Amino acid sequence: MARLIRPAIIFAGLIALWQIIVWISGAPDYILPGPAKVLTALLEQYDLLAEHAVITFAEIIAGLVIGTILGGGSALVMVMWRPTQRWLMPVLVISQAVPVFALAPILVLWLGYGAASKIAMAVLIIFFPVTAAFYDGLKRTEQGWLDLARVMGATGRTALLRIRLPAAMPAFGSGLRVAAAVAPIGAIVGEWVGSSAGLGYLMLHANARLQIEVMFAALLVLAIFSCILYFSIDAALRRYIRW
Amino acid sequence: MTTLPPNATYIEGARLSYDGEVLFDGVDMNLAEGGWTCLLGKSGVGKSSLLRLIAGLENDARADAMAIAGVAESGGNIAYMAQQDLLMPWLTLAENVAIGERLRGGPKGSGLERARDLLGRVGLAQETNFYPDACSGGMRQRAALARTLLEDRPVVLMDEPFSAVDAITRLELQDLAAEILSGRTVLLVTHDPLEALRLGDRIFVMSGRPAALTQLDPLPPGATPRRIDGDGMAAAQAAILNLIGGING
Amino acid sequence: MKNFLTAAALAVALTATAPVFAAEKLTVLLDWFINPDHGPLYVAQERGYFKDAGLEVEFKAPADPNAPPKLVAAGKADLAISYQPQLHIHADRGLPLVRIATLVATPLNSLVVLKDGAIKSIADLKGKKVGFSVGGFEDALLSAMLARHKMTLKDIELINVNFALSPALISGKVDAVIGAFRNFELNQLDLKGRAGKAFYVEEEGVPAYDELIVVANRKDLKRAEMRKFVNAIEAGVQYLVNHPQESWKLFIKGREKLDDELNRRAWRDTLPRFALRPGALDVNRYEAFAAFLKKQGIVKTTPALDTFAVELK
Repeated sequence: MARLIRPAIIFAGLIALWQIIVWISGAPDYILPGPAKVLTALLEQYDLLAEHAVITFAEIIAGLVIGTILGGGSALVMVMWRPTQRWLMPVLVISQAVPVFALAPILVLWLGYGAASKIAMAVLIIFFPVTAAFYDGLKRTEQGWLDLARVMGATGRTALLRIRLPAAMPAFGSGLRVAAAVAPIGAIVGEWVGSSAGLGYLMLHANARLQIEVMFAALLVLAIFSCILYFSIDAALRRYIRW
Repeated sequence: MTTLPPNATYIEGARLSYDGEVLFDGVDMNLAEGGWTCLLGKSGVGKSSLLRLIAGLENDARADAMAIAGVAESGGNIAYMAQQDLLMPWLTLAENVAIGERLRGGPKGSGLERARDLLGRVGLAQETNFYPDACSGGMRQRAALARTLLEDRPVVLMDEPFSAVDAITRLELQDLAAEILSGRTVLLVTHDPLEALRLGDRIFVMSGRPAALTQLDPLPPGATPRRIDGDGMAAAQAAILNLIGGING
Repeated sequence: MKNFLTAAALAVALTATAPVFAAEKLTVLLDWFINPDHGPLYVAQERGYFKDAGLEVEFKAPADPNAPPKLVAAGKADLAISYQPQLHIHADRGLPLVRIATLVATPLNSLVVLKDGAIKSIADLKGKKVGFSVGGFEDALLSAMLARHKMTLKDIELINVNFALSPALISGKVDAVIGAFRNFELNQLDLKGRAGKAFYVEEEGVPAYDELIVVANRKDLKRAEMRKFVNAIEAGVQYLVNHPQESWKLFIKGREKLDDELNRRAWRDTLPRFALRPGALDVNRYEAFAAFLKKQGIVKTTPALDTFAVELK
């Protein structure tokens, strides 16, 4: 119970800050609705929000899982076969540097308006953080362990599996945390560009209908989910990677 | 060169240079067979490098190593213990001790039985399932000793393994090491003259650039591990310090 | 030094005797990037009609098409080009926006399919995908059009394609698009070699409305500049109707990038649709459309018309 108090206080504080900003800026409802209106909309449109939220959450999680596997795999490939690093690294950097908004329409045209393009967007966004962090961790294994392994007669394969991989887990964890935080962006941008369902789609629709409080309610739901996602992954990482 | 016993361990013509600067060249060293050879010297003189060269860790392209002859068919016959305990934080003490088996491709659980035995021998019978972060520095080095022992190699190379613990623990570890490694050929690099005098059946001092070895002769009487207050210990310490600092001014 | 002092004195003298009436500045937010729908505005500007009325008008194209009316309502801009259906939604939500002039007096919105596609009538849309850009009232239009064929929105799948209407249609990812402007997207499709066929909303059950209007903030209605602005637009439409070729040249003057085949064709198709009497308001038409939106559930209330649409005096 005590552990929930701090998040609750932070949450309440942010709501208060929000209300203060509304008062001070004098922003009208159709630009920045106050927390009361948004929370009311949240409760009133609960089923609508839930219906679209589930779709977006599924896209985010699928993107996270696939992106992590691809990213982890790429890092391993680059470490095991040095030449691939020269070819793959620039591709990685480009994947990060090109704004997602530019790639979204192309992906939507290729993969359609369904979940596939949103998942692909999420994968694209997290690919670099996961790969770079994991690769870095694999490369920077403590030399002492590698020396010990060498004298003990380890093969490249066993040294990788038994030493470099576990030693790189904390770095991998960092990458995964970043991924958890940004994967939602990919899914939402994908929905903005072309979709028939999801929180991003709902936000666009509500915005056009001038139901701004519904748009913010969708935003709030997304924010809460992202927090839960991040802190769950963080807790899992801290439990299984304790070094 | 005098004729050596057939399975003698010796180093002949060792040479190491980094970026063109020669650390040592033409170094010869006969290790005390079945006993402890201690190597001392000022920091940076190259004693750790020599050890690493023998261990086969210095064939980096930058190091220009040549001809280490006759270290009893090195590679498969060497166990190595460094200054850091090198325990892996994701493994228990027992798993750490048995890591050699796993690295050589053994299945899960191989060596764990022996590992627990050896941990018992070094006084860690209660802590076999502990993780390294729950252990003190002394405990961790004892686990490292157990790991070295599990390797069961005739030649053991140690690089200042006890320098990171307090004085009392150091003495305890020295006694323990002398006991459990008895019968093996040990090359110990240390910067502590007292440690060398306690444990050494043969003592060399490395000095100069390029470095050369000087053997300390005679050694104080008595079987190793010698008492710190034994005959001749103080005088020998002075002699060592002289050799370390004296030649290079 | 003497020359400098003379020049300085001259400058001071000139500014001291500047005209008493400085030009009134007006910021006008367009609904989209500059296109032939905005013909009268640019003709008026190039012909100097704004300047003659003592107005200094600046046109800005938005990044987010939904923003301009909101910005005018929030007092951040003077005027916005908007859509009549949007106006009703804004009025329903209580935004202080008022329509003061009409730019395009017919609907431009249409349901477009590929001419050589499988859809030959609206009834064929059953179970198909329809692309749209979220504008807020597309479902109302579609719903009315489908109702005539005994269908509802549940019989089709609506997909947001974020303004990429033509690519979505051409690529076959959707079977039809709504929200395509008949003067623009149809020509776009033609130029890409995939002719489109349009179902005009006002022919398929939707009451007629003004596609493009000019909206102002209610508090600004008393400002003299507003009426002058409307007068200038009227002069612009007048010139455009009388001199269409010259008007095109004025439209692209200094904006060479607009001189392409698509715009030329769109210009030709938009010409007959400009409001000949921009300041006039058809009360009956507006009220009928408001009732239509209320019936469709797009708006909850229908405020008194004069609170959000007027003829300025």
